[in-house]
Amino acid sequence: MKKDINTVAAIKLLISRLVVYGILIFLTFLCLFFFYLMFINASRSNAQLQAGFTMIPGGNTIKNFVNAWHDTNISIPVGMKNSFIVASLSAVLTSYFSALTAYGTYVYDFKYKKAVHLFILAIMMIPSQVSAVGFIQLAFKYHLTNKLWMLIIPSIAAPSVYFYMRQYLEATLPLEMVEAARIDGSNEFRIFNEIVLPIMKPAIAVQMIFSFVGSWNNYFMPSLLLNDLQKKTVPVMIATLRSADFTKFDMGKVYMLMVMAILPVMIIYVILSKSIIKGVTSGSVKG
Amino acid sequence: MDKKQKTKEKRSISYAKWGYIFIIPFFIVYAIFTLYPQILTVYNSFFEYYRDGLNIIGPNFVGFGNYAKLFTPNLSGFIPIVKYTVNTFILWVMGAVPQFIIAMLLALFFTSTRLNIKGQQFFKTVIYMPNLIMASAFSMLFFAMFSKVGPVNQIILASGWADQAIDFLAMKVTVRSLIALMNFLMWFGNTTILLMAGIQGIDESLFESARLDGSSSTQVFFNITMPLLMPIFIYVFITSMIGGIQMFDVPQVLTNGIGTPNNTSMTLIMYLNTFLGISKNYGMAGAVSVLLFIMTAILSTFVFKTISKK
Amino acid sequence: MKKLLSAILAVLMVVSLAACTKPVDPEPKPAEEGKVFNLWTWNDEFWGFLVKYYADEKVDDFTVKKGDVTIKRTTYVSDNMAYQDALDAALLAQETAAADDKVDMFLAEADYIIKYVDSSATMDVKSIGVTDFSNTYKYTVQAATDSKGVVKGVSFQCCPSALIYRRSIAKEVLGTDDPTAVQEALSSWDKFDAVAETAKGKGYYMIATPMDTYRVFSNNVTSAWVENGKLTFDANIEAWMAQAEKYVKEGYAANASGVWDAEKTNEMFASGKSMCFFGPAWYFNFCMGNAQDPEKGCFGDWAICMGPQAHFWGGTWMLAATGTDNPTMVADIMNTFINNADVCEKLVKNEAQFSNNQIVNNKLAADSTYGNAFLGNQNDVTVFAELAKNIKFEHITPYDQGCNEGLQKYFQEYLKGEVDKDTAIANFKDYIKTAYPSITVE
Repeated sequence: MKKDINTVAAIKLLISRLVVYGILIFLTFLCLFFFYLMFINASRSNAQLQAGFTMIPGGNTIKNFVNAWHDTNISIPVGMKNSFIVASLSAVLTSYFSALTAYGTYVYDFKYKKAVHLFILAIMMIPSQVSAVGFIQLAFKYHLTNKLWMLIIPSIAAPSVYFYMRQYLEATLPLEMVEAARIDGSNEFRIFNEIVLPIMKPAIAVQMIFSFVGSWNNYFMPSLLLNDLQKKTVPVMIATLRSADFTKFDMGKVYMLMVMAILPVMIIYVILSKSIIKGVTSGSVKG
Repeated sequence: MDKKQKTKEKRSISYAKWGYIFIIPFFIVYAIFTLYPQILTVYNSFFEYYRDGLNIIGPNFVGFGNYAKLFTPNLSGFIPIVKYTVNTFILWVMGAVPQFIIAMLLALFFTSTRLNIKGQQFFKTVIYMPNLIMASAFSMLFFAMFSKVGPVNQIILASGWADQAIDFLAMKVTVRSLIALMNFLMWFGNTTILLMAGIQGIDESLFESARLDGSSSTQVFFNITMPLLMPIFIYVFITSMIGGIQMFDVPQVLTNGIGTPNNTSMTLIMYLNTFLGISKNYGMAGAVSVLLFIMTAILSTFVFKTISKK
Repeated sequence: MKKLLSAILAVLMVVSLAACTKPVDPEPKPAEEGKVFNLWTWNDEFWGFLVKYYADEKVDDFTVKKGDVTIKRTTYVSDNMAYQDALDAALLAQETAAADDKVDMFLAEADYIIKYVDSSATMDVKSIGVTDFSNTYKYTVQAATDSKGVVKGVSFQCCPSALIYRRSIAKEVLGTDDPTAVQEALSSWDKFDAVAETAKGKGYYMIATPMDTYRVFSNNVTSAWVENGKLTFDANIEAWMAQAEKYVKEGYAANASGVWDAEKTNEMFASGKSMCFFGPAWYFNFCMGNAQDPEKGCFGDWAICMGPQAHFWGGTWMLAATGTDNPTMVADIMNTFINNADVCEKLVKNEAQFSNNQIVNNKLAADSTYGNAFLGNQNDVTVFAELAKNIKFEHITPYDQGCNEGLQKYFQEYLKGEVDKDTAIANFKDYIKTAYPSITVE
C-alpha cells in the first residue's frame, strides 16, 4: 500500500519534471535563437547583410573583428574600459546607496519617514526621458560633457532600486535583529554594513546585475554627453560605426561590436548570479 | 514593562538622526541631478517653449493651454493622448501577462527542492540573455526576421502555409504581437530572477514546517510563498507597469517611429519623442510627462492598495 | 530658473541684435587669430580629406597641425539627433565660450543645412575671402545661401543622382541598352509611364518601389512645403502621390517598401524584375551590394542616364560659424576644397568623389578611356557632370526633412493597403503638427 503511494508520487514527479524541462528547453531555444542570429550577422559582410537574412554563417567573422579593431573612429579597449568603469561604479553605488536609503526609511522612526518614502515612490514614476533633457542642458551649460562621473554619480539616487531594496527589507529583515545588534553595542553604520548588508546580498546582487547591464547598454545619455574618443562608451562607439560615411559603413562591423559588447556582461552576470542562488537570510537569523 | 517603554522611547529619540543621515546622500544627488530638471519639466509644461530651427520660441506663459491641446481631437478625429495611452496599455498587458505567469512558474521551478532542477545555472543565464542585447539591436533583428522577404516568410512560403508573403510589420495584430513578444523575451528572465531572489529570501523553515504539516504545494504557494513574496511581487508589478508606460525603443524601431499601422502601436513616449525630437518642444513634452506622471501615480497607488489589501 | 530665463533672453537679444547689424561689420578684424581651430563633424569622411590634402602634420585621429594652428575635430554621432543637439548647444553658447573653444567651422547635410544657413549662427563667407564660385555647381551654392542671398558655406562634393537601369531588362523592354537611346525613351514622366506599361506587358516592373522616385519629384518642386507658415502640397508632390498610387495599383512597381528595405534591395539581384533605380555615384557601392554579389548579382548589367528630371542625393557642406577666431583659415579650407584644382582632382581620382569643381570633373568626363566596370564600362562622370548643372536647390525650408520623410512613411501605409488615402494624409498632417509647432496645418 505504502509502496503504491511512493510509485504514484515518483511517476507524478517524473511527469512534472518532464514538463518543466520541456518548458525550460523551449525557452532556452527561443532565447538562444536570437543570440545565434547576432553571431550569424557578426560573421557576415555588409553586402551579405544587405542581401537579407540567412541562418548560415557568412565566413567574415575575423575580417569583421579586424575591421572593428582597427577602425580609427573607435577604440574597443578604451570603450570597454570606459563602459566598465561607468557600469561597475554605477552598479556598486546604486545598490549600496539604495540599500542604505531603504534601510534608513525602514528601520528608523523619524518625523517625515512616510513622506520621504512616498516622495521617492512618486519620483520613480516620472519618465526619465524628460529629466534627461534638462540634465543635458545643464551639462552643456556648466561644461560637464565628456566627464564619466556625470554618468556615474546620478546612479546614487535610483528610486526604483530603492523601492526594491525597501520591499526586500520588508520581506526579509526582522527588526528584532537590529535591536539585538544594538544591545550588543554596535553602532548604526556597523549594523548596516556588517549585519544588514549580508542579509541583503541576494537583493544587492540582483540590482547590481540589472544596473550594470542597464548602464552598459545605456545609449541615450552617453551619446549626448560624450564625443571625446577617450571617453566614449561601447554603445556610443557602435553608433559611431553606424553613422560612418558610406565608404566605411559596414553593418558586419556593427554586429561584431554588438556581440563583443555582450560578452563582458555575461561574465559579470555569471559571477554575480552565484550570490543570488543562496538565500542568506535564514542562516543569518538563526546564527 | 517599564523598562521596555523606556528603551522604545530612547530608540526613537536617539536613532532618528541616523534615518536622516542614511537618506541624505540619496537626496543630495537627487536634488542636483534629477530634481532640478524635473521641476523644469513641470514648469515648462505651462509655457509655449520650443525651437523653430535655431530660434528659440518662448517661453511664453500659456497656463493649461498645452494640456488643452493634448485633449483636442486631431485631424484624424481622435484624441492623441487617449489613443496612445490605450495603445501603450494594450502593448504592455500583451507582454506582461505571459511574462508574469512564466516568470512565476520558473521561479517556483528553480526554487523547488522537490523538482531539484539540474543545470539551473545554465538555464538562469540563458533566460536572462535577451536582456543583454540592446533593445534597438533586438528590434533590428526582429525587423529583418519578419520582413516580407525575411526568413520567417521564407519558411511560411516554403512550407505552403500561405501562398503569399505575410506583411507582419504592417498589420495591427502582428505588429502588436511582435512588440509584446519582444518585451516578453527581454524581460521574463529579469522578472524570474527578481521573484526567485524574493522566494529565496523567505525563511526556509516556514516551508519545512508546512511540509511537515502535510500541506500540498498549491497550499504552500498560496498560504506561504505568495503572502511573503507580496512586497517583491508588488515591486515587480509596479516597475513593470512603469516600464510599460515608458515603452519606447522596441516599437520605435519596429514601426519606423510612426506606430504602424495607422498609429495603432504608437506609444506615449513615442508621442513625447515626436514633440521633443526635432522641435525640442519642452512645453508640450512637459505636459505629456506631467500627464504620464499623474497616470502612473494613480495606477500605482491603485495597484498598491488592491494588492496589499489581500 | 531665473538664470535659465535670463540666459535665453540674452541669447535672444544677441540674435536679434546680430540680425539688425548684419550688413555692416562693426568689429575691427583681430590682428592675431586663434591657435586652435575647432571643426565639428558627425563622422570622419571630410576629416580624412583634410588630413591628407590640407594639414601639414597629423597628431592623432582627432588632431592635426597646419602651420602653428592646431585643428581639432569634435565628433558626435548623427543617430538620434545627437550631433545637431550638441552642435546647437555649442552654437548657442558660442558668444560666451573661450576663444579656443569656439566652433570655427562645422559640417551639415542637405537635409538640415537650411536650419543653420538661415540663422545668425553662420556667417557670410564672402566677407572672409571665399568669393570665387565660378567653378562650383550652382545648387551647392544655393544650398548654403540664406533667404537674403548671403552665402554661408560651401560643399566639397556634388551628389547628382541618376536613373540607374538594368541593361538586360532595357533591351527586352526598349530594344536597346544604349544610354542615349534609353534617356530618349525616359526623358519625361509621360514617357516614363508609357515605358512602364510596356515593361508590365513583358513581365517586368518599371521601378522597385515608388519611394525611389520621391526624391526626383521633391527636388523639383516649385513651391515650398511651408508657405506663409502653412503646410502646402506642391504640384510635384501631388504628382508623386498620383504616380505612386498608380504604379502600385497597376503593378508597375514591385512593391511599396522603403528605400532601405531588403524587399527593395532584393530587386537588385540578377533575379530581380525591376528596371529602374535612382541614385548618385556612392549608391553603387553603398546600396547596390546585391547587384555586386558574385553569385546572385548582376555586375556590369547596369547603366545610367539622366532620367526624367535632374536631382541630387546627399552631400556635406562646410559652414563658417559666427564668432570664429580663425576666419582666415575657414576661408582657406573652403577655397582649397572648391578652387584648388590639384586637391579637387585628387578627390576625384583617389577618393571616388564627384568634386565640386566643374573644370576638374569635365576633364574626366571627356576622358574616353575612362569607364566604370559596374556600368558595363560606361563613363558615368559624363552623365553626372551634365546632370549636376541642372540640379536645383530651391524652395527649401527647415521643415523639409520631417515633411519628406513623414509623407513617405504615412503614404506608404496607404500604398500597402493598411489605411485609406484620406486617413494617410490626415495622419501625415497630424504628425507635422506635432513635430513642428510653428506650422499651421489645415
